Amino acid sequence: MSSSGGATAACGAPTTTDRVRSAAESLSQILDLPLSSKTDPAIFLLLDPAVSATVSRRLLLRSSGAGDDHLCRWLYDTFQSTVPSLQLVVIRFFPAIAASYLARALSRQPLAGFEAVLLALYAHETVARQGKPLTINLPNLANASPYHETTKSAVKNKSAAIDTADAVPETEIAVLSPVLEPHGTIRSTKRSRIVGVGFELYYKHIANIPVSSKLEFIEHCIAWVGNCGKTSLKGKKGEWRIPLPWELLQPIIRIVGHCLLGPGEDNKLKQMAADAAFLLYQRAMQDMDSRAVLATRCLVHFVAALESPKAPVSPAETVADVMASSAVEAFESLPTALADVDIIVESTSDDF
Amino acid sequence: MGVDDGEVEEDVEMPMSVRELSANGRSVDASEIEAKLDLGNIEEAESSLREGLALNFEEARALLGRLEYHRGNIEAALRVFHGVDLEAAIQRLQTLPSEKPSSRKGRSRGESFNVNSQPGANLVLEAIYLKAVSMQKLGKANDAARECKVLLDAVEKMFQNVSSEVTVDAKLRETITKAVELLPEMWKQAGNHEEAANSYRHALLNQWNLDDESCARIQKRFAVFLLYSGLEVGPLNLTTQTDGMFIPKNNAEEAILLLMILLRKWNLGKIPWDPSIMEHLTYALCMCDQTSLLAKLFEELNPGTYHRCDRWNTLALCYSGAGDDTTALNLLRKSLNKHEKPDDLVALLLAAKICSKDFLFASEGVEYARRAVANAQGENGHLRSVALCFQGICLGKQGKCASSDLERSRLQAEALKSLEKAIADDPRNPDLIYDLGIEYAEQHNMNAALSCAKEFIDATGGSIPKGWRLLALILSAQQRYREAEVVTDAALDETAKLEQGQLLRIKAKVKVAQSSHMDAIETYRILLALIQAQRKSAGSSRFCYQIEDNKSSEFEVWQGLANLYSKLSHWKDAKVCLEKARELKPYSASPLHIQGSMHEALHQTKLAMASYSNALQIDDSHAPCKVAIGALLWKSGSKSLAAARSLLSDALRLEPTNRMAWYFLAVIHKDDGRLNDAADCFQAASMLEDSEPVESFSTAS
Repeated sequence: MSSSGGATAACGAPTTTDRVRSAAESLSQILDLPLSSKTDPAIFLLLDPAVSATVSRRLLLRSSGAGDDHLCRWLYDTFQSTVPSLQLVVIRFFPAIAASYLARALSRQPLAGFEAVLLALYAHETVARQGKPLTINLPNLANASPYHETTKSAVKNKSAAIDTADAVPETEIAVLSPVLEPHGTIRSTKRSRIVGVGFELYYKHIANIPVSSKLEFIEHCIAWVGNCGKTSLKGKKGEWRIPLPWELLQPIIRIVGHCLLGPGEDNKLKQMAADAAFLLYQRAMQDMDSRAVLATRCLVHFVAALESPKAPVSPAETVADVMASSAVEAFESLPTALADVDIIVESTSDDF
Repeated sequence: MGVDDGEVEEDVEMPMSVRELSANGRSVDASEIEAKLDLGNIEEAESSLREGLALNFEEARALLGRLEYHRGNIEAALRVFHGVDLEAAIQRLQTLPSEKPSSRKGRSRGESFNVNSQPGANLVLEAIYLKAVSMQKLGKANDAARECKVLLDAVEKMFQNVSSEVTVDAKLRETITKAVELLPEMWKQAGNHEEAANSYRHALLNQWNLDDESCARIQKRFAVFLLYSGLEVGPLNLTTQTDGMFIPKNNAEEAILLLMILLRKWNLGKIPWDPSIMEHLTYALCMCDQTSLLAKLFEELNPGTYHRCDRWNTLALCYSGAGDDTTALNLLRKSLNKHEKPDDLVALLLAAKICSKDFLFASEGVEYARRAVANAQGENGHLRSVALCFQGICLGKQGKCASSDLERSRLQAEALKSLEKAIADDPRNPDLIYDLGIEYAEQHNMNAALSCAKEFIDATGGSIPKGWRLLALILSAQQRYREAEVVTDAALDETAKLEQGQLLRIKAKVKVAQSSHMDAIETYRILLALIQAQRKSAGSSRFCYQIEDNKSSEFEVWQGLANLYSKLSHWKDAKVCLEKARELKPYSASPLHIQGSMHEALHQTKLAMASYSNALQIDDSHAPCKVAIGALLWKSGSKSLAAARSLLSDALRLEPTNRMAWYFLAVIHKDDGRLNDAADCFQAASMLEDSEPVESFSTAS
């Protein structure tokens, strides 16, 4: 992971390997965790359970996030290093940063340290997208596509090409994430959007993010969604729930969707994601936001389908399951399975 | 090739010998072989098969492996498969199609391949397939994927030279189909997502002659993979493409395309119903805010796919998500009918929410909300507060247009009670505080409203713009303009440039109220510049609703400026502004109202009257015009006092809090000698004046 960029680095400039090592060393100092010379610094940063647990704990402390917080400074510097593997480490801690920030921003504590990191992530994404919205062209089935059934549409295309040449309907554009304006500070009304873009960045890298970080995310997600759960804990007045406008909720739903239905076999994650999905649905109902209700209700239905294997075809059912059941059937009807060969032979040999 | 020829001959002999064997009874044989296998004599079992069935080495091994596999001895099966060079066997098979015709002496044409070699080919291919499955079961997904790939490559080569008309026997086809389905799953399990995506595409874009159902299964799995994997696997690369063809450029597009194709297949009856297709599509389209398209897809579904009530309710959610509340409410009325599902909580809540936005539906909304409150029990207990909140809002709206004072005060008290109960139920939800604040403000209890607005801003850390707007409006209603200005300025600091429109409008109006006209004009100027900037950024994204929004805010700016200039008696400027406003909305009554008041200020009574009545012809529920005509009639003398009074009462019916209507009504009562009534009306007018915000509270949300 770390050596790839090192070879191309210019002479004299620190190589990627050096940077990763120095980042790991400074983090081990900040955390007061030993970094033995044998450990791969990249693994130390991204995967070491002790490191990630300590960092997350530190981020969630009441005293964290101020302007002079060393950990925040480290996160900021590490992200600005522009080394992808180091940036991934910062993104890996984003759930903890967001959780701590969202909860405490309500009480207007000075959180300059967190805000610097958040703005760095936001600026990174703004540059990557050139401020443009993420859009998708909605397919129109009247237009041919690679996945249309080829034989028929090809024939039809040829014959109909003349009369419908100019009648091809235009595709519509939908927005997955709106325009990104540059922001130098976090204005309170932009807080949700900036944190939301952080989650969009998290989602972009989610395939490379370790499960432990996703688990943390789900834990925090359950806390944000509030007290509307099965065990309805009546909150006290003055302890406000965190507002979840669509710009923040949408990326959260996408991450939960990934944890629930994405590739990967981690059962604990799936179980927790299922709980989060249920709570998100409850929250969407409380806010009565139609989009959120529709989207989270789907997640809840997926959970139900996953839990009851007798559902028609569950969404995440793998071929392996189907295979397993057909193998059992085959086993039970063993003589006929073997006799298949004969049947084929008999029917064909009649031709002679 | 001579050797190969020999092998081929052997293959051809196979059927004869097998038939003879089968006449002897296969079951005996099988158990014999099993017994040998159980003793671990793979070689012996194999040789007896080879002798007995005249199979070659690979085929015998393949058969043995299958036997072991079906007996559940996965590891044993793998051991059997390992001992054989299946790849070599495949390579021999690959030469079959071209060799065949010559060796069969032209007797058989293309179909000889079909007739004779397929059982042998199938045995070998199936063996590889079973090897892959066994590996997968032992957790070696990567190896399994590689085996599967070998199989499919072989099949592709085998059929390369064969015309597509050749009928492939069912057993072979089944093996191929299973392998095609298995490969991407194996890559996925092995964590090689790039290869998984490639093999999905390969499966779908190549001519595997898959049946509809397995093709649908692959399409669905691929769509799910694209939707939830979080990977951007790179766009499709196609060698050939026709004009006007839709080529998905990213994962979401590809997933939506696949799901829509699946949906069409279901609509055409090609595949059985799978509710998850619609669910995934719903998820995908909600994420990009396309509930209108989703509604269209639900409308297109075959009848009977969903229960009609579920369909109506889902459609209502889609339409309300797309901003079409009227359609949504109509659908909900059907599903909430007492003969359908009158107690569906989601439908009740949505209906109550839609009704709470409009005076006309307020009483209907109260009914839905009541039912929702009654049904929010047990597991759904957490929704009671939402239901109570909608009930409160609807009651408040109902109270505003109540026919009697008594009725009004009863409804307003109930509204407050519902909202307070909602807050007691869910004390952590700041939105409820906001709604209570609005209700207090509407009931002119500004002190209570103020503390709610402040609490809301505290609770949300100032992150929700509507909180700032409400606070500024409440302060303006208390005539604390200086503070209102401080709040708007603070809010402007907390808001990004492009979203400052509404705040700037409030600020300009506060300035006008303070009579700092030049500042107001300057604020309007900034606002206009902002609108221009918004139009530029909206122009590139081509969303018509944004353009509409933009238009109406520009209209309001010109109108505000016209008002301001006419107050300053800058008639020429006022006229220019009015013209601009009318260009944007030619069929709007309010510019005519302003024009009328300008004529009035210039003592052109007839022209003023003409403008007012034109305005009423465009919009006969424009209360300010009614008030203005009433006032003009009163000024013109005692003859038309009755007409004036009826116009003013009419205006009050439309806008119970119209201060000027109360004022002129009072004056008319006084002229008519009804002093008691006059006093009441004066009192109402003065009370309203003391609590009039610079613009309606409903604009805050």
